[in-house]
Amino acid sequence: MMLNPSDGLPDDRKSLYPQSQSSAYKCGDKTSPISVILVSSGSRGNKLLFRYPYQKVAECPSSLSAKQRNPYVLNTSGDELDDQDGDSREQSPLTDEQLVAGFSDIVLSTILATKSDMCGKKFELKIDNVRFVGHPTLLQHPPIIQVSKTDPSPKREMPTMILFNVVFALRANADPSVISCMHNLSRRIAIALQHEERRCQYLTREAKLMLAVQEEITTTENGSPQSPFRQILPKCKLARDLKEAYDSLCTTGVVRLHINDWLEVSFCLPHKIHRIGDTYIPPEALERSLKAIRPYHALLLLENEKTLLSQLPLDCSPALIRLIKTCSAVKNLQQLAQDADLALLQIFQIAAHLVYWGKAIIIYPLCENNVYMLSPHANICLYSPLAEQFARQFPGHDLPSMLAKFSLPVSLAEFRNPLEAPTQEAQLIQMVVWMLQRRLLIQLHTYVCLLVPPSEDEPGLRDEDPPLAARVGGRSLSTPSALSFGSPTSSDDMTLTSPSMENSSAELLTGGDSPLNKRMTETLLASLSEHERQFILNIPAAQNPEDLRMFARLLHYFRGHHHLEEIMYNENMRRSQLKTLFDKFRSVLVVTNHEDPIISIFQSPMD
Amino acid sequence: MRIKSMMGMPTRIECIFFSEFHPTLGPKITYQVPEEYISRELFDTVQVYIITKPELQNKLITVTAMGKKLIGCPVCIEHKKYSRNALLFNLGLVCDARTNTCSLEPIVKKLSGYLTTLELHIGSIHMLVGSNSVLFFLNYESNTIHLKLIQLRKDPPIVQEYDVPVFTQCKDHFIKSQWDLTTQQILPYIDGFRHIQKISAEADVELNLVRIAVQNLLYYGVVTLVSIFQYSNVYCTTPKVQSLIDDKSIQEECLNYVTKQGQKRASLRDVFQLYCGLSPGTTVRDLCSRYSQQLQRVDERRLIQFGLMKCLIRRLQKYPVKVIRDERSRPPRLYTGCHSYDEICCKTGITYQELDERLENDPNIVVCWK
Repeated sequence: MMLNPSDGLPDDRKSLYPQSQSSAYKCGDKTSPISVILVSSGSRGNKLLFRYPYQKVAECPSSLSAKQRNPYVLNTSGDELDDQDGDSREQSPLTDEQLVAGFSDIVLSTILATKSDMCGKKFELKIDNVRFVGHPTLLQHPPIIQVSKTDPSPKREMPTMILFNVVFALRANADPSVISCMHNLSRRIAIALQHEERRCQYLTREAKLMLAVQEEITTTENGSPQSPFRQILPKCKLARDLKEAYDSLCTTGVVRLHINDWLEVSFCLPHKIHRIGDTYIPPEALERSLKAIRPYHALLLLENEKTLLSQLPLDCSPALIRLIKTCSAVKNLQQLAQDADLALLQIFQIAAHLVYWGKAIIIYPLCENNVYMLSPHANICLYSPLAEQFARQFPGHDLPSMLAKFSLPVSLAEFRNPLEAPTQEAQLIQMVVWMLQRRLLIQLHTYVCLLVPPSEDEPGLRDEDPPLAARVGGRSLSTPSALSFGSPTSSDDMTLTSPSMENSSAELLTGGDSPLNKRMTETLLASLSEHERQFILNIPAAQNPEDLRMFARLLHYFRGHHHLEEIMYNENMRRSQLKTLFDKFRSVLVVTNHEDPIISIFQSPMD
Repeated sequence: MRIKSMMGMPTRIECIFFSEFHPTLGPKITYQVPEEYISRELFDTVQVYIITKPELQNKLITVTAMGKKLIGCPVCIEHKKYSRNALLFNLGLVCDARTNTCSLEPIVKKLSGYLTTLELHIGSIHMLVGSNSVLFFLNYESNTIHLKLIQLRKDPPIVQEYDVPVFTQCKDHFIKSQWDLTTQQILPYIDGFRHIQKISAEADVELNLVRIAVQNLLYYGVVTLVSIFQYSNVYCTTPKVQSLIDDKSIQEECLNYVTKQGQKRASLRDVFQLYCGLSPGTTVRDLCSRYSQQLQRVDERRLIQFGLMKCLIRRLQKYPVKVIRDERSRPPRLYTGCHSYDEICCKTGITYQELDERLENDPNIVVCWK
């Protein structure tokens, strides 16, 4: 079935994560910055060049009384220090703006324009409830202008900028990973600015403009006090870029700037992108998942192919384009590699990249044996925006009814109705894909665990046995374990090793009851305790050498961490073969169904 | 020097320093213990955050530089008696840059306030400045002050009337007198089976007070929440169920917890089979009839309780949704997919069975399990 399930997707990115975000700006949101500030230090001293949001000049921190309290402010606990000595200060909770607005331009310039010793490193400063993070950067000194001793004209010193700092102000209780990300962005912007400064003194020019406007405003004000920064915006591209960075961080979490209309700085805040409802998936968890994906997994795009392609920069890799065009929910990564004519390694790399940027998720490829169930975090509310979208997308169907069908685990095959037109089936697939993209469904897999009934006469001994998992350890069946990545767009951060698919059972000869096979079976069963081995050998099915051999060969999968499909893939076996085997040895095996913890992160946030 | 936090994890303080604005030499470190810990270089870099402009005084300032974190609170005392009419000082702590210093902030604040008081009432800092005794004094003090380091925890979830609180540790270890009166009053009713509404009714405490008290207990990790137990409940396993096999300590804890009183300890296989026997479509009643042999030594209620507490299993709740309605009828209030059976039954007072009967016969309503 050659389907492109991504057809007909809504283009609006925000609607893919509709859950509870009603307002884009959440007061007290720990993943959004409070302010962005640009300072510089040079021959003219420390200057605050730009800040956004700008405070209203009339407001002065000492006049903040209770009645100016913002009615929308969230009273976050843990901010106020519990003064146990009893002289608790009357503090009305401050809004985000007020937290930073309380700092005047001069003070900010003093504390944020650091000494040159602190340049080139992460800058972190916490003052009460605000945390400032940046990456102060040294600029190269321009050539010194030699003024001749005999020159009668007064010495004109060219004002030079020595260093600058792009600072983000955050709430003090922001997650360390958020702080780290903000620092990363600050560093990237700094690198771009440093480059442009060297090339054409871009930063100096913009700084001059900014300072000029500031001076102008302070000298000519006499009527209503206006914020000079408001005036700077239309005149300075850099100011607009910084404002855009701030706005993007507060909303979508995706920042794309073109410094001086030339250098691109792109960045994403995983905490905003990988959100399900009110919680976000921590980047570390994301990375762990991505390191564990296997060639039998598939990549599911979260956006329309066309939309996605249009978002890519002009100089993006052709491999990425090829992958996006060839990608499909029914194709696993190995097939994708073949179809797109790319190395599997590259596919993994690009897939990780797309996932990190929130453009795709990892699933098990769609097939009729897949069993799906409602995700515990699915929004099944009648009036949710999802329900609305579904109705528009699939006229005549309503989301709750569809979701109700997945209340009990159901395989796609069960929906098959020979009397139905094939288009119905195609539509069903589309609906399932739609639901997967919106994290409404989870897929269940079968896991198997070996547990031999304890012997009646020596129960004490039984308890001493370490579980099979501990004994049959040391056989790693994981994929590119060194797939690590930091910043997604810098490929030098990505290191790769070739995927290792240990298929050690291939050496077993099939058929026949040769002594070699017998011995191999014995070896494999050697890791079991005497009691366990005896019990297994006494099972009726074990009398059949073929079955026993198969059982022994697969023994190391029976610790509850490898699902049926993985065993099928690794051992090149059919589902029916495995199921029959499980049934034959059911007296020592315990079977259960649940989601794959490796990729379940994409369906459910971390607990 | 180590200060023990509530959790028993030490936060290592590497240096205490006393810095002030000298009338002629400007900002300097007057004393530090151990000596010479803060290099001249480091101080030069960070002095602007230690002896600060007026706007930053009395604020807790933490700055990271050269692999170190300095936490201080700059103070300014104005008086004619001082040269330059003001005394500017800052008593700070130094840790490694990677340390999480949130818990030290109240200490710094407290010490700063203490010194201010000393200076204001006794003028003692100035007197002591001549000798080294300031820091000996402080060192001594810090070692004996039992400072409560507040570990910031995650905000607890909202407690609903149909939630059931259960103690995470043995109830006997609980020191009642440490807690407020409301909590003390409801304690006897927290048995891992009574839900909030029931506790409120039986303990005769207003519902919201019970919710807040339990939320408080939740915050400190003393209790956790599970759902109401009924034999008609449906559960399913989570990937964490494998931890029963992998993790010996959870295994031990589980087997001890679920074994019936007075019986020989249940076997791992039986317990694991029981958990794996829970699946969508299977009620606890079904489980009991199918696995009666395994349940000989296992208390099924405690089995479920333990499974929920450790997230080995999760409850599948029913959510009714009214999908078809004619123009004239009112929009559904409770049958919107946002309210579970538990919630509806709790709020309206009807039983599960009654609700089931009502809804099963209504063609306009579908039920989602999740």
